[in-house]
Amino acid sequence: MRTRILIAACGAFAIVVALSACSQNTGTQDTGSSSADAANPTQTGVIATDPLDSMGPAPEVPGGAKGGTFTIIRELKIPHLDPQRVYSFAGLMNAALYARTLTTWEQIDDQLTLVGDLAQTPGTNVNGDCTVWEFTIKDGLKFEDGSQITSKEIAYGIARSFNPDLTGGPTYLQEWLSGTPQYDTAWDFKANKSSLPPGLTTPDAKTVQFEFDRPRCDLPFAVSLPASAPVPPDKDTGVDYDNLPFSSGPYRITENTPGVQLVLERNSHWDPATDPVRHQYPDKFVWTFGTDDEASANRVIADNGADQTALDWNSVPSSLVSKTTTDPALKERSLLSPTTSANRLTINNQRVTDLSIRQAINYAIDREGLIKMLGGPTVGAPMTTLMPPGTLGYQAYDAYPAGPNGDIGKAKELLAGRTPELVLGTADDSSGQEMATQLKGNLEKAGFVITVKNIPADDKLDETKKKDNPWDLYLDSWAADWPSGAAILPVLFDGRSIKAEGNSNSAYMNSDAINAEFDRIQALDPDKQAAEWGALDERIMTEVAPVVPLYVDVAYFLHGSKVGGLFVSGVFPYPSFVNAYIEQ
Amino acid sequence: MTRFLLRRSLLAILTLFAVSVLTFLMFFVLPRDPVSGMCPKNCNPERLERVRRELGLSDPKIDQYLAYMKGIFVGRDLGSAQGGHCDAPCLGYSYVNNEPVSETIARVLPVTLSIVIPAAILWLGLGIGLGMVSALRQGTWVDRVAIGFSLTGASLQLYFVGGVLLLVFTYQLGIAPVPHYTPLLENPADWAGGLVLAWLALAFLFSAIYARLSRAQMVETLSEDFVRTARAKGLPNSQVYGRHALRAAITPLVTIAGIDIGAALGGTVITEITFGLQGLGRTAVGAVHAGDLPMIMATVLVAAFFIVVANIAVDLLYAAIDPRVRL
Repeated sequence: MRTRILIAACGAFAIVVALSACSQNTGTQDTGSSSADAANPTQTGVIATDPLDSMGPAPEVPGGAKGGTFTIIRELKIPHLDPQRVYSFAGLMNAALYARTLTTWEQIDDQLTLVGDLAQTPGTNVNGDCTVWEFTIKDGLKFEDGSQITSKEIAYGIARSFNPDLTGGPTYLQEWLSGTPQYDTAWDFKANKSSLPPGLTTPDAKTVQFEFDRPRCDLPFAVSLPASAPVPPDKDTGVDYDNLPFSSGPYRITENTPGVQLVLERNSHWDPATDPVRHQYPDKFVWTFGTDDEASANRVIADNGADQTALDWNSVPSSLVSKTTTDPALKERSLLSPTTSANRLTINNQRVTDLSIRQAINYAIDREGLIKMLGGPTVGAPMTTLMPPGTLGYQAYDAYPAGPNGDIGKAKELLAGRTPELVLGTADDSSGQEMATQLKGNLEKAGFVITVKNIPADDKLDETKKKDNPWDLYLDSWAADWPSGAAILPVLFDGRSIKAEGNSNSAYMNSDAINAEFDRIQALDPDKQAAEWGALDERIMTEVAPVVPLYVDVAYFLHGSKVGGLFVSGVFPYPSFVNAYIEQ
Repeated sequence: MTRFLLRRSLLAILTLFAVSVLTFLMFFVLPRDPVSGMCPKNCNPERLERVRRELGLSDPKIDQYLAYMKGIFVGRDLGSAQGGHCDAPCLGYSYVNNEPVSETIARVLPVTLSIVIPAAILWLGLGIGLGMVSALRQGTWVDRVAIGFSLTGASLQLYFVGGVLLLVFTYQLGIAPVPHYTPLLENPADWAGGLVLAWLALAFLFSAIYARLSRAQMVETLSEDFVRTARAKGLPNSQVYGRHALRAAITPLVTIAGIDIGAALGGTVITEITFGLQGLGRTAVGAVHAGDLPMIMATVLVAAFFIVVANIAVDLLYAAIDPRVRL
């Protein structure tokens, strides 16, 4: 790998921050630290602005060889393939094979770097205030039919995401460009197919420009999502595009039988010299759907025939964990890594207004016991911060040091003889019930009186997002779309965004001082933001304690004996295919 | 006969109509908003409502039902978000699979048929054969083995038998392929290889019940007067058993077989899940989980259709087998 030059964006920015151990393949493709411990920060994140860093070819993977069919076994179909609609983890990891984006994440060992993908760099902050961004497109980019990829197709791809028929995808670009969540009424795609939404322009065939009414410093991150993938207007078949999107990446979709099989084969027009992260080792990637977690794990454990080149996308079921974690041969074929998907016990700050009570809740929780109940270290790793390890600017701290099992004495001391009566809302499914029982036990030991109220599992998320919900405590999780504090802290804790329904700020925290901090940090140069988010994380927990950080999900996957090059993405909690190969 | 067929067909249509109404009403009792899955995180209520309107889910329920039924008979316009015009018989557009429901049904139905029909041939042949042999060899070791076989089969569950078959023959010995579906006409050998474990599991469990039933029926029939008369007239055993006794003994089994096969064609959910095959039953369960109303309606109606048709077929077979029955 060539030496990276870390400079500021737009002349501009570089972010070098300590991040956590992000990926571990316990087998021969070991790329990480020795345990799934979320509290051991070892990773560094950067944004590369030297165009050389964004050019290919990607460094060869040791052992990487061409040929073979890489099979991925999954129970359910991938919800969407249309890049403007892709938002599931499976969809996001799969899209990297056939949809190139303006920027992308390069992950080497434990280091994440944002690089240009279709763009020569991760963007130019034209005025230095994040209101105007410019991306210059690389030469030699081609679609699967050999036609040239220009700024026009990239801009069209973004424009078509305004089409109200194309549900399911992220809405950052649409909302930022139109300045409103009602973006599809602000600009009517169907009536303006030959034009572009306000703020999006293509001054020439190599330039895409974004202009916003307020600073959008996270744009380089946002355009790493497949929503910025190019789409030729004449190939856009509306909702049917979801079945057979047109490829700009190293593989093209050649067969799609929904719910049964998805086949991707090499795209001969993809030029590795333009691609800093992807390889094209296997001849094919084949997703097979319909196999449940027990069956898929058993198949991969048996390692027969075609399953030797398979990845089990379903997580290892708890019934097989003791076998897979103790058998040395299976450990060699497993991926184990903490992810950036963070779980917390949310405290409804509108109802639990006393800081000392919220702090006592923090002291009372037994994280180790909770994780053990969930299935142990292959399921979760404890966390004490709001931003999960792996986020740019992450700083390890524990505002309420209670040890792994909680500090009941300290909680009682804060309660000073009070016995607060709290309502814990929980999903009426088995995991919700088990977790509620565990948390109720923890809190009642400290003197709380907990009433558990069930919420239909399918409705729980919507119900807890209602401002006037009747619960004091509930479990929540958040996986940011990119590892930046801006995608976590203001989204979850800016009180000015609280509305009647659909609140991401489900703690309903509203602190003028913290809100002012959000504004201050978001107005800073991007290169200065990361450390500020880390500091603000600790300040929020210390001064407000709006939630109890519990654990990050741990990714645990098995693969066949002839699979190589897999690693768990540091951005999304699933295996990445960019380095995957089949041993020949 | 014609009158019977007309009467039963009308009854079948009424049954399917009742099933469609009930299914439609039950969908709205499900504690799930299908639109929430289509809206990404941070989706605001206004946008959610717009998507709901776009899919017609905000319309009065009676209008939604009438539109659905109209689609079946004359087709309907589903709007650009659901693939535009849908020709009759339009079963709607799956907003989970992103395709017309009829395409999904056309894809998954052959899987279920391929599981059920060969398995049914196996279980009927094996079960009735064993029962007959057992009845004719009462008290011998053959009878005892057959009774043991049927007791074992009747005591086990498909998810257990299927799991054991997979574990032994696919995962451990590696002699059976991972269950999969290949169209029969595309590659008959692969079609059979991919489904053989499912057939064996179903055949083992179902044949056990048929072995017990057919043995009991045959034992009872063999003590009937007409069998004694046939023997007294000097007919060879093959004719006594094959033509007279078997025909009488098999009549009640036809009813049970008709119901079993009809229900299985409506969806062998556990078989499909155990062996990872995407048939009608599994599609129906997935549709319920995803709140995919058009898919729920279609799978339930297809399943009901099979059961109704199987019942009519049973009545016809009854008349063909038993000369005392007149339609």
